[in-house]
Amino acid sequence: MTEAEIDFEVDPEDLPEISDQPDVPIGGPSLVVDDLHINYRVFGGKKVGAQYGKKSWFTRLVSQSREHVGAVQTVSAIRGVSFVARHGESIGIVGTNGSGKSTLLRAVAGLIPPTKGTVHVSGEPSLLGVNAVLMRELTGERNIMIGGLALGLTPQQVRDRFDEIVDFAGIGDAVYLPMKTYSSGMSARLRFAISSFATPDILMIDEALATGDATFRQKSKARMEVVRSEAGTIFLVSHSLATVKAICTRVLWLHEGNLVMDGPSEVVADAYGRFARSKRLEAKAQRAQRRRRG
Amino acid sequence: MVGEIPDDPTVPPPPLAGSIGQQRVRELVDENGLTELGRRPSFKKYVTELWEHRSFITVLAQSKAYAKNQNSYLGQVWSVLTPTLNALVYAIIFGIVLETSRGLENVIAFIVVGTFMFRFFERSISGGAKSVQSNAHLMRSLRFPRAVLPASTVMAELTTAIPAFVVMCVVSWASGLLPAYPSVSVTWYWLLLPFAILLMWMFNTGCAFIVARVVAITPDIQNIIPVLLRFGMYGSGVIFSISHYAGDGLFGTLLQYQPVAVYLYLARASLLQEPSIPHDPVMWAFGAGWAVLFFVIGFVVFWRGEERYGRD
Repeated sequence: MTEAEIDFEVDPEDLPEISDQPDVPIGGPSLVVDDLHINYRVFGGKKVGAQYGKKSWFTRLVSQSREHVGAVQTVSAIRGVSFVARHGESIGIVGTNGSGKSTLLRAVAGLIPPTKGTVHVSGEPSLLGVNAVLMRELTGERNIMIGGLALGLTPQQVRDRFDEIVDFAGIGDAVYLPMKTYSSGMSARLRFAISSFATPDILMIDEALATGDATFRQKSKARMEVVRSEAGTIFLVSHSLATVKAICTRVLWLHEGNLVMDGPSEVVADAYGRFARSKRLEAKAQRAQRRRRG
Repeated sequence: MVGEIPDDPTVPPPPLAGSIGQQRVRELVDENGLTELGRRPSFKKYVTELWEHRSFITVLAQSKAYAKNQNSYLGQVWSVLTPTLNALVYAIIFGIVLETSRGLENVIAFIVVGTFMFRFFERSISGGAKSVQSNAHLMRSLRFPRAVLPASTVMAELTTAIPAFVVMCVVSWASGLLPAYPSVSVTWYWLLLPFAILLMWMFNTGCAFIVARVVAITPDIQNIIPVLLRFGMYGSGVIFSISHYAGDGLFGTLLQYQPVAVYLYLARASLLQEPSIPHDPVMWAFGAGWAVLFFVIGFVVFWRGEERYGRD
């Protein structure tokens, strides 16, 4: 299966019942993002252009050495995104791979400083991602302590809630093993549990629901509803459109670092779904064509 | 609802360009009491935040030091075993094979104290230099003042070094049992050693702050640091006495009062009864001065780059 064939839908029976979104009144702004740009500085690669062709040996030498010396380039991951999020909203972010979803989430969580533009928030945002590795070589127990302290708790508070966290993550005695031995589902669950230490004003979830079994999905959905009913804002990045539709009230569609659509989840998710499907068909057609030719 | 539903499903809608406008943003911010992210906090706020994260620093440091020795059968025994083996090498090479006195009475103790103290400095600097980059995953998942990273790296080195310092004391004392060497006796002055280590720790943390920022912005510098450290090693009298080789001229004096040489002097003066290393309050004053100076300057330097870490 190639990348283009990745399914953007999940099995419907795998999802919590759709349309059980709690009626949370939408409050005032909790997040204002204005003209946000994020540029990454990337070392170790540089596009130099076609090297073979009718070029003199000198030009070739210069261009080839440029590839090995000073191979730094700037990649614009986010190119001018503006939006306002309100208390009680849950917002899905959709887009193809590399469209800047995770970068946007990290910037909004205050983890990547903006190159240009501003992010204003109320309270302390908290990001939860399955990619966000804590310390692999340390035990789950140690990681719970580190995560809790980084979230601003005291060691005593972490110890008091330790059992609760382990229960929520459902990993049992594995908590005393190094995290490098965990399955991806186990470590995703533990990270989710750690983030539930705090009841943040803004909770951000990066693909967390994709890992974990049905029971865990139910748990995490309940957890998100608690945040939302306490008038927090939720951001969710997911490739599963069904998940986004079931959980979110509003969807942002990112494409190549730009915000291209922003509106009610049904409308935007459907428009994006059509786009993703047509891309998939296109890729399939191209493959079929290649096979015919070859 | 913003943005149009595209007619052609293969083409995404055009970008929704444009900013909200600074005026409107300011209104929204003022009305709702929002705070800005990704800006460097004021110095006072940064210090408070760092203080609130003090247990994060210690737990991170202890966990790192602990994880280092965890992947072996003997586990934490290596924290004592590694320095013991190292000390043994110095004792054999310099004390038994080379048998040079270099104007000193107990060369083995002199070299063991020198190398162990210098190793603490060396590892703090090279660890501190990498601290921002090697913790990129932590920075991308959790928000905390980034000064936590160099500070906890140096503290992890201190945690690793403490068993080594105990070994250092034992070996220094034991070297006196060898027939050719004068005995090293345990005196009340040994109680001064922790203070020398404490001052060096403070100095190392300050240096780590500086190199952490420089390397985070210009990664190339990381390749130069080992060279500078090698210079530092020969310029600090780790395996020979500076006054014996460099003399008492301007150059020799400069070398003697530079920070690393001062900390080596303080540790040796506390542990050994070397006639050429008398107890000297001036050296203690220098030690304290360097520690405070580098710590404060390093912290300010690191703080001023706060909004730039984590964008690679």
